[in-house]
Amino acid sequence: MAARKTRQIAAATAFLGPPSLWIGALFILPMATMALLSFWRVVDYNIVADWTLANYERLARPLYLGIFWRTIKIALLVTVICALVGYPVAYFLARKTKRFQLILLVLVILPLWTSYLVRTYAWMLILGTNGAVNQALQGLGLTDTPVSWLLYSDFAVTLALVHIYVPFFILPLYAVLEKLDPRLLEAAKDLGGGRWRTFLHVTLPLSLPGVATGCLFVFIPSMGAFVTPELLGGARSIMIGSVVAQQFGVAYDYPLGSAMSLTILAIILVAATLFLRAGRPAGTAP
Amino acid sequence: MKAHSSSTILLGLWTAFVLLFLFAPLFLVAVFSFNDSSISVFPIRAFTLRWYESLAANEAFRTALANSLIVAGATVVFATLLGMAAGVGVHRYVPRLRTALRSGASLPMMVPHLILGIALLGFYNLVAIDLSLTTVIMGHSVVAFPYVFLIVSARLVGFDPSLEEAARDLGASTARIFWEITLPLLAPAILTAALISFTLSFDEVVVTFFTTGTDNTLPMVIWSMLRVGITPEINAIATLTVVVSCAMAGVAEVIIRRSRLTAAKKGE
Repeated sequence: MAARKTRQIAAATAFLGPPSLWIGALFILPMATMALLSFWRVVDYNIVADWTLANYERLARPLYLGIFWRTIKIALLVTVICALVGYPVAYFLARKTKRFQLILLVLVILPLWTSYLVRTYAWMLILGTNGAVNQALQGLGLTDTPVSWLLYSDFAVTLALVHIYVPFFILPLYAVLEKLDPRLLEAAKDLGGGRWRTFLHVTLPLSLPGVATGCLFVFIPSMGAFVTPELLGGARSIMIGSVVAQQFGVAYDYPLGSAMSLTILAIILVAATLFLRAGRPAGTAP
Repeated sequence: MKAHSSSTILLGLWTAFVLLFLFAPLFLVAVFSFNDSSISVFPIRAFTLRWYESLAANEAFRTALANSLIVAGATVVFATLLGMAAGVGVHRYVPRLRTALRSGASLPMMVPHLILGIALLGFYNLVAIDLSLTTVIMGHSVVAFPYVFLIVSARLVGFDPSLEEAARDLGASTARIFWEITLPLLAPAILTAALISFTLSFDEVVVTFFTTGTDNTLPMVIWSMLRVGITPEINAIATLTVVVSCAMAGVAEVIIRRSRLTAAKKGE
Protein backbone atom coordinates (compact mmCIF):
# COMPACT_ATOMS: atom_id res chain seq x y z
CA MET A 1 0.00 0.00 0.00
CA ALA A 2 2.81 2.39 0.91
CA ALA A 3 4.60 1.49 -2.32
CA ARG A 4 1.48 2.30 -4.26
CA LYS A 5 1.17 5.65 -2.51
CA THR A 6 4.81 6.48 -3.32
CA ARG A 7 4.25 5.57 -6.95
CA GLN A 8 1.15 7.73 -6.99
CA ILE A 9 3.10 10.71 -5.67
CA ALA A 10 5.89 10.09 -8.18
CA ALA A 11 3.40 10.00 -11.02
CA ALA A 12 1.64 13.14 -9.81
CA THR A 13 5.00 14.92 -9.62
CA ALA A 14 5.91 13.77 -13.11
CA PHE A 15 2.68 15.23 -14.50
CA LEU A 16 2.33 18.36 -12.40
CA GLY A 17 5.96 19.26 -11.66
CA PRO A 18 7.14 20.47 -15.07
CA PRO A 19 4.11 22.66 -15.87
CA SER A 20 4.17 24.17 -12.36
CA LEU A 21 7.86 24.98 -12.67
CA TRP A 22 7.42 26.40 -16.16
CA ILE A 23 4.48 28.63 -15.27
CA GLY A 24 6.08 29.52 -11.96
CA ALA A 25 9.31 30.60 -13.62
CA LEU A 26 7.86 32.30 -16.68
CA PHE A 27 4.61 33.74 -15.45
CA ILE A 28 4.51 34.09 -11.67
CA LEU A 29 8.13 35.18 -11.22
CA PRO A 30 7.96 37.78 -14.02
CA MET A 31 4.72 39.19 -12.64
CA ALA A 32 6.30 39.32 -9.17
CA THR A 33 9.38 40.97 -10.66
CA MET A 34 7.15 43.59 -12.23
CA ALA A 35 5.49 44.24 -8.88
CA LEU A 36 8.92 44.66 -7.24
CA LEU A 37 10.22 46.89 -10.02
CA SER A 38 7.26 49.22 -9.56
CA PHE A 39 8.67 50.14 -6.12
CA TRP A 40 12.27 50.57 -7.31
CA ARG A 41 14.07 53.44 -8.95
CA VAL A 42 16.25 54.20 -11.93
CA VAL A 43 19.51 55.97 -11.09
CA ASP A 44 21.89 56.80 -13.92
CA TYR A 45 20.31 54.25 -16.27
CA ASN A 46 20.54 51.53 -13.64
CA ILE A 47 17.61 50.00 -11.84
CA VAL A 48 18.29 50.15 -8.10
CA ALA A 49 16.40 48.32 -5.41
CA ASP A 50 15.66 51.51 -3.57
CA TRP A 51 12.15 51.28 -2.16
CA THR A 52 9.93 54.14 -3.11
CA LEU A 53 6.35 55.05 -3.93
CA ALA A 54 7.55 57.75 -6.32
CA ASN A 55 6.53 55.77 -9.43
CA TYR A 56 2.93 55.65 -8.32
CA GLU A 57 3.04 59.33 -7.37
CA ARG A 58 4.25 60.14 -10.87
CA LEU A 59 1.20 58.33 -12.27
CA ALA A 60 -0.97 61.00 -10.67
CA ARG A 61 0.40 63.62 -13.05
CA PRO A 62 -2.30 65.12 -15.28
CA LEU A 63 -0.57 63.81 -18.41
CA TYR A 64 -0.72 60.17 -17.30
CA LEU A 65 -4.09 60.50 -15.59
CA GLY A 66 -5.49 61.88 -18.84
CA ILE A 67 -4.14 58.96 -20.85
CA PHE A 68 -5.43 56.45 -18.29
CA TRP A 69 -8.82 58.11 -18.43
CA ARG A 70 -8.87 58.07 -22.24
CA THR A 71 -7.89 54.39 -22.22
CA ILE A 72 -10.67 53.49 -19.79
CA LYS A 73 -13.18 55.48 -21.86
CA ILE A 74 -12.14 53.79 -25.11
CA ALA A 75 -12.09 50.32 -23.52
CA LEU A 76 -15.58 50.86 -22.05
CA LEU A 77 -16.90 52.29 -25.30
CA VAL A 78 -15.48 49.31 -27.22
CA THR A 79 -17.09 46.97 -24.69
CA VAL A 80 -20.51 48.64 -24.96
CA ILE A 81 -20.39 48.69 -28.77
CA CYS A 82 -19.32 45.04 -28.89
CA ALA A 83 -22.27 44.18 -26.63
CA LEU A 84 -24.75 46.10 -28.78
CA VAL A 85 -23.33 44.77 -32.05
CA GLY A 86 -22.72 41.24 -30.79
CA TYR A 87 -25.87 40.50 -28.81
CA PRO A 88 -28.22 40.22 -31.82
CA VAL A 89 -25.66 38.03 -33.59
CA ALA A 90 -25.30 35.65 -30.64
CA TYR A 91 -29.07 35.60 -30.26
CA PHE A 92 -29.62 34.81 -33.94
CA LEU A 93 -26.98 32.06 -33.90
CA ALA A 94 -28.26 30.45 -30.74
CA ARG A 95 -32.01 30.72 -31.13
CA LYS A 96 -33.11 31.68 -34.60
CA THR A 97 -31.27 29.50 -37.04
CA LYS A 98 -30.73 25.79 -37.18
CA ARG A 99 -29.74 25.40 -40.79
CA PHE A 100 -26.92 27.96 -40.80
CA GLN A 101 -25.93 27.65 -37.15
CA LEU A 102 -22.74 25.67 -37.68
CA ILE A 103 -21.40 27.60 -40.64
CA LEU A 104 -22.17 30.97 -39.00
CA LEU A 105 -20.48 29.87 -35.80
CA VAL A 106 -17.38 28.85 -37.74
CA LEU A 107 -17.42 32.22 -39.49
CA VAL A 108 -17.52 34.05 -36.15
CA ILE A 109 -14.66 31.95 -34.75
CA LEU A 110 -12.47 32.12 -37.86
CA PRO A 111 -11.31 35.75 -37.44
CA LEU A 112 -10.05 34.85 -33.95
CA TRP A 113 -7.54 32.55 -35.62
CA THR A 114 -6.18 35.33 -37.79
CA SER A 115 -3.56 37.86 -36.80
CA TYR A 116 -4.85 40.95 -34.99
CA LEU A 117 -1.90 42.85 -36.43
CA VAL A 118 -3.21 42.13 -39.92
CA ARG A 119 -6.75 43.00 -38.88
CA THR A 120 -5.49 46.30 -37.48
CA TYR A 121 -3.44 46.94 -40.59
CA ALA A 122 -6.47 46.38 -42.82
CA TRP A 123 -8.10 49.45 -41.28
CA MET A 124 -5.15 51.58 -42.34
CA LEU A 125 -6.03 50.69 -45.94
CA ILE A 126 -9.68 51.48 -45.34
CA LEU A 127 -9.46 54.67 -43.29
CA GLY A 128 -6.34 56.35 -44.70
CA THR A 129 -6.51 59.58 -46.72
CA ASN A 130 -6.27 57.47 -49.89
CA GLY A 131 -8.23 54.66 -48.28
CA ALA A 132 -11.35 52.93 -49.47
CA VAL A 133 -13.73 55.07 -47.42
CA ASN A 134 -12.29 58.35 -48.63
CA GLN A 135 -12.26 57.12 -52.21
CA ALA A 136 -15.90 56.16 -51.89
CA LEU A 137 -16.83 59.50 -50.33
CA GLN A 138 -15.02 61.42 -53.06
CA GLY A 139 -16.41 59.16 -55.75
CA LEU A 140 -19.93 59.88 -54.52
CA GLY A 141 -19.12 63.58 -54.54
CA LEU A 142 -19.81 63.89 -50.82
CA THR A 143 -16.48 65.57 -50.21
CA ASP A 144 -13.77 67.17 -52.34
CA THR A 145 -10.84 66.72 -50.01
CA PRO A 146 -10.15 63.47 -48.19
CA VAL A 147 -11.52 63.27 -44.64
CA SER A 148 -8.39 63.23 -42.54
CA TRP A 149 -9.83 62.45 -39.12
CA LEU A 150 -10.78 58.89 -40.06
CA LEU A 151 -7.34 57.47 -39.40
CA TYR A 152 -5.11 58.36 -36.43
CA SER A 153 -8.04 59.09 -34.15
CA ASP A 154 -10.07 57.64 -31.28
CA PHE A 155 -12.61 56.72 -33.95
CA ALA A 156 -10.15 54.49 -35.83
CA VAL A 157 -8.89 52.84 -32.64
CA THR A 158 -12.42 52.17 -31.36
CA LEU A 159 -13.61 50.81 -34.69
CA ALA A 160 -10.65 48.46 -35.08
CA LEU A 161 -10.85 47.24 -31.48
CA VAL A 162 -14.55 46.47 -31.97
CA HIS A 163 -13.68 44.63 -35.17
CA ILE A 164 -10.97 42.60 -33.45
CA TYR A 165 -12.79 41.75 -30.22
CA VAL A 166 -16.48 41.44 -31.11
CA PRO A 167 -16.16 37.64 -31.60
CA PHE A 168 -14.89 37.48 -28.00
CA PHE A 169 -18.23 38.92 -26.94
CA ILE A 170 -20.39 36.79 -29.23
CA LEU A 171 -18.96 33.38 -28.30
CA PRO A 172 -19.51 33.26 -24.50
CA LEU A 173 -22.95 34.83 -24.93
CA TYR A 174 -23.81 32.29 -27.61
CA ALA A 175 -22.83 29.48 -25.25
CA VAL A 176 -25.23 30.80 -22.59
CA LEU A 177 -28.10 31.56 -24.96
CA GLU A 178 -27.85 28.17 -26.59
CA LYS A 179 -28.31 26.42 -23.26
CA LEU A 180 -31.39 28.44 -22.28
CA ASP A 181 -34.23 26.12 -21.40
CA PRO A 182 -36.77 26.49 -24.24
CA ARG A 183 -39.54 25.56 -21.79
CA LEU A 184 -39.03 28.88 -19.97
CA LEU A 185 -39.60 30.75 -23.21
CA GLU A 186 -42.64 28.61 -24.00
CA ALA A 187 -44.02 29.30 -20.55
CA ALA A 188 -43.54 33.04 -21.00
CA LYS A 189 -45.34 32.86 -24.31
CA ASP A 190 -48.17 30.78 -22.85
CA LEU A 191 -48.62 33.33 -20.10
CA GLY A 192 -49.29 35.91 -22.76
CA GLY A 193 -45.91 37.62 -22.83
CA GLY A 194 -45.29 39.16 -26.22
CA ARG A 195 -42.03 38.62 -28.03
CA TRP A 196 -40.48 41.75 -26.55
CA ARG A 197 -41.69 41.09 -23.05
CA THR A 198 -40.42 37.52 -23.18
CA PHE A 199 -37.06 38.82 -24.32
CA LEU A 200 -36.82 41.62 -21.75
CA HIS A 201 -38.09 39.62 -18.78
CA VAL A 202 -36.82 36.11 -19.49
CA THR A 203 -34.12 35.83 -22.14
CA LEU A 204 -32.15 38.97 -21.35
CA PRO A 205 -31.88 38.45 -17.56
CA LEU A 206 -30.96 34.80 -18.03
CA SER A 207 -28.28 35.69 -20.57
CA LEU A 208 -26.56 38.24 -18.30
CA PRO A 209 -23.77 35.85 -17.22
CA GLY A 210 -22.84 35.45 -20.89
CA VAL A 211 -22.98 39.21 -21.40
CA ALA A 212 -20.72 39.74 -18.38
CA THR A 213 -18.13 37.19 -19.55
CA GLY A 214 -18.23 38.63 -23.05
CA CYS A 215 -17.75 42.19 -21.75
CA LEU A 216 -14.79 41.04 -19.68
CA PHE A 217 -13.18 39.29 -22.67
CA VAL A 218 -13.46 42.54 -24.64
CA PHE A 219 -12.55 44.98 -21.88
CA ILE A 220 -9.34 43.22 -20.77
CA PRO A 221 -7.46 43.24 -24.09
CA SER A 222 -8.84 46.70 -24.97
CA MET A 223 -7.48 48.08 -21.71
CA GLY A 224 -4.04 46.68 -22.53
CA ALA A 225 -4.20 47.46 -26.26
CA PHE A 226 -0.87 48.45 -27.76
CA VAL A 227 -0.65 47.44 -31.42
CA THR A 228 -3.97 48.96 -32.48
CA PRO A 229 -3.61 52.42 -30.87
CA GLU A 230 0.02 52.51 -31.94
CA LEU A 231 -0.87 51.96 -35.61
CA LEU A 232 -4.26 53.67 -35.83
CA GLY A 233 -4.23 56.19 -33.00
CA GLY A 234 -1.22 58.27 -33.93
CA ALA A 235 -0.33 61.22 -31.75
CA ARG A 236 -3.97 62.24 -31.32
CA SER A 237 -5.15 59.05 -29.66
CA ILE A 238 -2.55 57.71 -27.27
CA MET A 239 -3.58 54.84 -25.03
CA ILE A 240 -1.75 53.79 -21.88
CA GLY A 241 -0.31 50.67 -23.56
CA SER A 242 1.91 52.79 -25.77
CA VAL A 243 3.15 54.77 -22.78
CA VAL A 244 3.98 51.55 -20.94
CA ALA A 245 5.84 50.27 -24.00
CA GLN A 246 7.88 53.49 -24.14
CA GLN A 247 9.07 52.94 -20.56
CA PHE A 248 10.41 49.55 -21.63
CA GLY A 249 11.96 51.04 -24.76
CA VAL A 250 13.37 54.48 -25.39
CA ALA A 251 12.48 55.95 -21.98
CA TYR A 252 14.14 53.06 -20.13
CA ASP A 253 12.09 53.54 -17.01
CA TYR A 254 11.05 49.99 -16.08
CA PRO A 255 9.85 51.03 -12.61
CA LEU A 256 7.41 53.61 -13.96
CA GLY A 257 6.24 51.21 -16.68
CA SER A 258 5.74 48.49 -14.06
CA ALA A 259 3.70 50.82 -11.87
CA MET A 260 1.53 51.64 -14.89
CA SER A 261 1.09 47.95 -15.70
CA LEU A 262 0.06 47.12 -12.16
CA THR A 263 -2.43 49.98 -12.29
CA ILE A 264 -3.85 48.56 -15.53
CA LEU A 265 -4.16 45.16 -13.86
CA ALA A 266 -5.90 46.78 -10.87
CA ILE A 267 -8.38 48.50 -13.19
CA ILE A 268 -9.01 45.18 -14.95
CA LEU A 269 -9.58 43.49 -11.60
CA VAL A 270 -12.09 46.13 -10.51
CA ALA A 271 -13.87 45.92 -13.88
CA ALA A 272 -13.94 42.11 -13.69
CA THR A 273 -15.53 42.23 -10.24
CA LEU A 274 -18.13 44.76 -11.37
CA PHE A 275 -18.95 42.94 -14.62
CA LEU A 276 -19.28 39.57 -12.96
CA ARG A 277 -21.39 40.97 -10.13
CA ALA A 278 -23.68 42.72 -12.61
CA GLY A 279 -23.86 39.51 -14.60
CA ARG A 280 -25.08 37.26 -11.81
CA PRO A 281 -28.15 35.36 -12.97
CA ALA A 282 -30.92 37.85 -12.34
CA GLY A 283 -33.68 35.25 -12.27
CA THR A 284 -33.71 35.39 -8.48
CA ALA A 285 -34.30 39.13 -8.30
CA PRO A 286 -37.88 40.28 -7.70
CA MET B 1 -41.95 25.16 -42.92
CA LYS B 2 -43.21 28.22 -41.19
CA ALA B 3 -42.60 31.67 -42.56
CA HIS B 4 -39.86 33.60 -40.83
CA SER B 5 -41.01 36.47 -38.70
CA SER B 6 -39.75 39.93 -39.52
CA SER B 7 -37.61 39.99 -36.38
CA THR B 8 -35.83 36.81 -37.45
CA ILE B 9 -35.14 38.33 -40.85
CA LEU B 10 -33.81 41.52 -39.27
CA LEU B 11 -31.57 39.52 -36.94
CA GLY B 12 -30.33 37.49 -39.89
CA LEU B 13 -29.54 40.61 -41.88
CA TRP B 14 -27.72 42.12 -38.91
CA THR B 15 -25.66 38.93 -38.51
CA ALA B 16 -24.77 39.04 -42.20
CA PHE B 17 -23.75 42.68 -41.82
CA VAL B 18 -21.52 41.91 -38.81
CA LEU B 19 -19.88 39.04 -40.67
CA LEU B 20 -19.24 41.38 -43.59
CA PHE B 21 -17.67 43.83 -41.14
CA LEU B 22 -15.46 41.00 -39.83
CA PHE B 23 -14.30 39.71 -43.19
CA ALA B 24 -14.34 42.64 -45.61
CA PRO B 25 -11.13 44.25 -44.26
CA LEU B 26 -9.20 40.98 -44.56
CA PHE B 27 -10.61 40.42 -48.00
CA LEU B 28 -9.50 43.89 -49.03
CA VAL B 29 -5.92 43.19 -47.94
CA ALA B 30 -5.92 39.98 -49.97
CA VAL B 31 -7.28 41.76 -53.06
CA PHE B 32 -4.63 44.46 -52.87
CA SER B 33 -1.93 41.81 -52.47
CA PHE B 34 -2.77 40.60 -56.00
CA ASN B 35 -3.22 44.06 -57.48
CA ASP B 36 -0.72 45.28 -60.02
CA SER B 37 -0.16 48.67 -58.45
CA SER B 38 2.44 49.90 -56.02
CA ILE B 39 -0.15 51.78 -53.99
CA SER B 40 -3.01 50.09 -52.16
CA VAL B 41 -5.93 52.04 -53.60
CA PHE B 42 -8.85 51.42 -55.91
CA PRO B 43 -9.40 50.89 -58.80
CA ILE B 44 -8.07 47.36 -59.02
CA ARG B 45 -5.84 47.25 -62.08
CA ALA B 46 -4.68 43.79 -63.00
CA PHE B 47 -3.91 40.51 -61.35
CA THR B 48 -0.28 40.00 -60.44
CA LEU B 49 1.87 37.73 -58.32
CA ARG B 50 4.79 40.11 -58.32
CA TRP B 51 4.43 41.13 -54.67
CA TYR B 52 4.66 37.50 -53.68
CA GLU B 53 7.62 37.04 -55.99
CA SER B 54 9.35 40.03 -54.52
CA LEU B 55 8.73 38.56 -51.06
CA ALA B 56 10.21 35.24 -52.08
CA ALA B 57 13.33 37.08 -53.18
CA ASN B 58 13.48 39.08 -49.97
CA GLU B 59 16.13 37.75 -47.61
CA ALA B 60 14.65 39.40 -44.48
CA PHE B 61 11.28 37.85 -45.23
CA ARG B 62 12.72 34.35 -45.71
CA THR B 63 14.69 34.56 -42.46
CA ALA B 64 11.63 35.84 -40.60
CA LEU B 65 9.48 33.05 -42.02
CA ALA B 66 12.03 30.48 -40.89
CA ASN B 67 12.18 32.12 -37.45
CA SER B 68 8.40 32.17 -37.18
CA LEU B 69 8.21 28.48 -38.05
CA ILE B 70 10.94 27.60 -35.54
CA VAL B 71 9.29 29.62 -32.78
CA ALA B 72 5.79 28.33 -33.52
CA GLY B 73 7.04 24.75 -33.80
CA ALA B 74 8.89 24.92 -30.48
CA THR B 75 5.93 26.64 -28.84
CA VAL B 76 3.66 23.83 -30.00
CA VAL B 77 5.99 21.24 -28.46
CA PHE B 78 6.42 23.00 -25.11
CA ALA B 79 2.88 24.31 -24.66
CA THR B 80 1.24 21.08 -25.77
CA LEU B 81 3.38 18.80 -23.61
CA LEU B 82 3.13 21.01 -20.53
CA GLY B 83 -0.55 21.83 -20.98
CA MET B 84 -1.42 18.19 -21.53
CA ALA B 85 0.62 17.06 -18.51
CA ALA B 86 -1.08 19.70 -16.38
CA GLY B 87 -4.55 18.81 -17.67
CA VAL B 88 -4.13 15.08 -17.10
CA GLY B 89 -2.29 15.60 -13.79
CA VAL B 90 -4.92 17.90 -12.32
CA HIS B 91 -7.76 15.68 -13.49
CA ARG B 92 -6.20 12.56 -12.09
CA TYR B 93 -4.34 13.56 -8.95
CA VAL B 94 -6.00 16.67 -7.54
CA PRO B 95 -9.64 16.25 -8.55
CA ARG B 96 -10.82 18.36 -5.62
CA LEU B 97 -8.89 21.39 -6.83
CA ARG B 98 -9.95 21.03 -10.48
CA THR B 99 -12.16 24.11 -10.61
CA ALA B 100 -9.73 26.29 -8.67
CA LEU B 101 -6.73 25.18 -10.73
CA ARG B 102 -8.62 25.68 -13.97
CA SER B 103 -9.32 29.30 -13.03
CA GLY B 104 -5.71 29.65 -11.87
CA ALA B 105 -4.30 28.26 -15.09
CA SER B 106 -6.39 30.65 -17.15
CA LEU B 107 -4.83 33.64 -15.36
CA PRO B 108 -2.20 34.22 -18.05
CA MET B 109 -5.13 34.60 -20.47
CA MET B 110 -6.54 37.38 -18.32
CA VAL B 111 -3.33 39.39 -18.49
CA PRO B 112 -2.98 41.57 -21.60
CA HIS B 113 -0.08 40.40 -23.79
CA LEU B 114 1.55 43.79 -23.38
CA ILE B 115 1.88 43.27 -19.64
CA LEU B 116 3.02 39.69 -20.04
CA GLY B 117 5.66 40.88 -22.51
CA ILE B 118 7.08 43.63 -20.34
CA ALA B 119 6.95 41.43 -17.22
CA LEU B 120 9.05 38.85 -19.07
CA LEU B 121 11.42 41.55 -20.30
CA GLY B 122 11.87 42.92 -16.78
CA PHE B 123 12.45 39.41 -15.47
CA TYR B 124 14.95 38.43 -18.20
CA ASN B 125 16.73 41.70 -17.56
CA LEU B 126 16.92 41.15 -13.81
CA VAL B 127 18.23 37.59 -14.02
CA ALA B 128 20.48 38.56 -16.96
CA ILE B 129 19.09 36.22 -19.62
CA ASP B 130 20.04 37.43 -23.11
CA LEU B 131 17.12 38.00 -25.47
CA SER B 132 16.91 35.63 -28.41
CA LEU B 133 14.42 33.37 -30.15
CA THR B 134 14.65 31.12 -27.08
CA THR B 135 13.24 33.83 -24.83
CA VAL B 136 10.49 34.40 -27.41
CA ILE B 137 9.62 30.70 -27.36
CA MET B 138 9.49 30.74 -23.55
CA GLY B 139 7.09 33.69 -23.68
CA HIS B 140 4.89 32.15 -26.37
CA SER B 141 4.65 28.90 -24.45
CA VAL B 142 3.21 30.85 -21.50
CA VAL B 143 0.69 32.48 -23.85
CA ALA B 144 -0.39 29.13 -25.33
CA PHE B 145 -0.28 27.01 -22.16
CA PRO B 146 -3.70 27.98 -20.73
CA TYR B 147 -5.41 27.23 -24.06
CA VAL B 148 -3.94 23.73 -24.18
CA PHE B 149 -4.69 23.13 -20.52
CA LEU B 150 -8.32 24.22 -20.83
CA ILE B 151 -8.94 22.27 -24.06
CA VAL B 152 -7.45 19.09 -22.60
CA SER B 153 -9.34 19.59 -19.32
CA ALA B 154 -12.62 20.07 -21.18
CA ARG B 155 -12.04 16.82 -23.04
CA LEU B 156 -11.28 15.01 -19.77
CA VAL B 157 -14.57 16.11 -18.22
CA GLY B 158 -16.45 13.71 -20.45
CA PHE B 159 -13.87 11.01 -19.82
CA ASP B 160 -15.06 7.71 -18.34
CA PRO B 161 -12.70 6.86 -15.44
CA SER B 162 -13.85 3.23 -15.45
CA LEU B 163 -11.79 2.68 -18.60
CA GLU B 164 -8.56 3.48 -16.76
CA GLU B 165 -9.68 1.54 -13.70
CA ALA B 166 -10.49 -1.52 -15.79
CA ALA B 167 -7.04 -1.38 -17.37
CA ARG B 168 -5.44 -1.03 -13.94
CA ASP B 169 -7.42 -4.00 -12.60
CA LEU B 170 -6.18 -6.00 -15.54
CA GLY B 171 -2.66 -5.21 -14.41
CA ALA B 172 -1.64 -2.44 -16.81
CA SER B 173 1.07 -0.08 -15.57
CA THR B 174 0.43 3.66 -15.22
CA ALA B 175 2.64 4.36 -18.23
CA ARG B 176 0.83 1.77 -20.33
CA ILE B 177 -2.57 3.10 -19.32
CA PHE B 178 -1.46 6.57 -20.33
CA TRP B 179 -0.13 5.50 -23.73
CA GLU B 180 -2.87 3.10 -24.67
CA ILE B 181 -5.99 4.64 -23.14
CA THR B 182 -5.61 8.24 -22.02
CA LEU B 183 -3.55 9.49 -24.96
CA PRO B 184 -5.72 8.07 -27.79
CA LEU B 185 -8.82 9.50 -26.11
CA LEU B 186 -7.15 12.86 -25.78
CA ALA B 187 -5.70 12.86 -29.29
CA PRO B 188 -8.31 15.15 -30.92
CA ALA B 189 -8.07 17.65 -28.05
CA ILE B 190 -4.28 17.59 -28.18
CA LEU B 191 -4.20 18.11 -31.93
CA THR B 192 -6.63 21.01 -31.70
CA ALA B 193 -4.61 22.53 -28.86
CA ALA B 194 -1.41 22.12 -30.88
CA LEU B 195 -2.94 23.92 -33.86
CA ILE B 196 -4.18 26.76 -31.66
CA SER B 197 -0.73 27.05 -30.05
CA PHE B 198 0.79 27.25 -33.51
CA THR B 199 -1.41 30.12 -34.68
CA LEU B 200 -1.14 31.94 -31.34
CA SER B 201 2.62 31.90 -31.71
CA PHE B 202 2.67 32.49 -35.46
CA ASP B 203 0.55 35.66 -35.08
CA GLU B 204 1.98 36.92 -31.79
CA VAL B 205 3.34 40.48 -31.91
CA VAL B 206 3.48 42.06 -28.48
CA VAL B 207 5.24 39.42 -26.40
CA THR B 208 7.65 38.90 -29.30
CA PHE B 209 8.28 42.65 -29.52
CA PHE B 210 9.55 42.78 -25.94
CA THR B 211 11.29 39.42 -25.68
CA THR B 212 13.18 39.12 -28.94
CA GLY B 213 16.79 40.07 -29.45
CA THR B 214 17.88 40.87 -32.99
CA ASP B 215 15.83 38.11 -34.62
CA ASN B 216 12.54 38.94 -36.28
CA THR B 217 9.45 36.83 -36.75
CA LEU B 218 6.93 37.49 -39.54
CA PRO B 219 4.59 39.72 -37.52
CA MET B 220 7.64 41.69 -36.37
CA VAL B 221 8.61 42.20 -40.03
CA ILE B 222 5.10 43.50 -40.79
CA TRP B 223 5.34 45.71 -37.71
CA SER B 224 8.66 47.26 -38.66
CA MET B 225 7.64 47.66 -42.33
CA LEU B 226 4.47 49.46 -41.23
CA ARG B 227 6.55 51.97 -39.31
CA VAL B 228 8.01 53.06 -42.64
CA GLY B 229 4.88 53.00 -44.74
CA ILE B 230 2.34 50.82 -46.48
CA THR B 231 3.80 48.69 -49.26
CA PRO B 232 2.18 45.97 -51.38
CA GLU B 233 4.59 43.44 -49.88
CA ILE B 234 2.90 43.96 -46.52
CA ASN B 235 -0.39 42.97 -48.15
CA ALA B 236 1.26 39.81 -49.42
CA ILE B 237 2.77 38.83 -46.03
CA ALA B 238 -0.49 39.69 -44.29
CA THR B 239 -2.46 37.53 -46.72
CA LEU B 240 -0.02 34.66 -46.28
CA THR B 241 -0.31 34.72 -42.48
CA VAL B 242 -4.10 34.83 -42.67
CA VAL B 243 -4.10 31.87 -45.07
CA VAL B 244 -1.82 29.87 -42.74
CA SER B 245 -4.04 30.64 -39.73
CA CYS B 246 -7.22 29.78 -41.60
CA ALA B 247 -5.72 26.52 -42.79
CA MET B 248 -4.90 25.63 -39.18
CA ALA B 249 -8.44 26.54 -38.14
CA GLY B 250 -9.83 24.39 -40.95
CA VAL B 251 -7.78 21.37 -39.92
CA ALA B 252 -8.82 21.87 -36.28
CA GLU B 253 -12.46 22.04 -37.32
CA VAL B 254 -12.16 18.77 -39.25
CA ILE B 255 -10.48 17.07 -36.29
CA ILE B 256 -13.20 18.24 -33.89
CA ARG B 257 -16.01 17.11 -36.24
CA ARG B 258 -14.38 13.72 -36.80
CA SER B 259 -13.88 13.07 -33.10
CA ARG B 260 -17.53 14.00 -32.47
CA LEU B 261 -18.60 11.62 -35.21
CA THR B 262 -16.59 8.74 -33.78
CA ALA B 263 -17.88 9.57 -30.32
CA ALA B 264 -21.42 9.52 -31.68
CA LYS B 265 -20.83 6.20 -33.41
CA LYS B 266 -19.62 4.71 -30.16
CA GLY B 267 -22.92 5.78 -28.70
CA GLU B 268 -21.54 8.19 -26.12
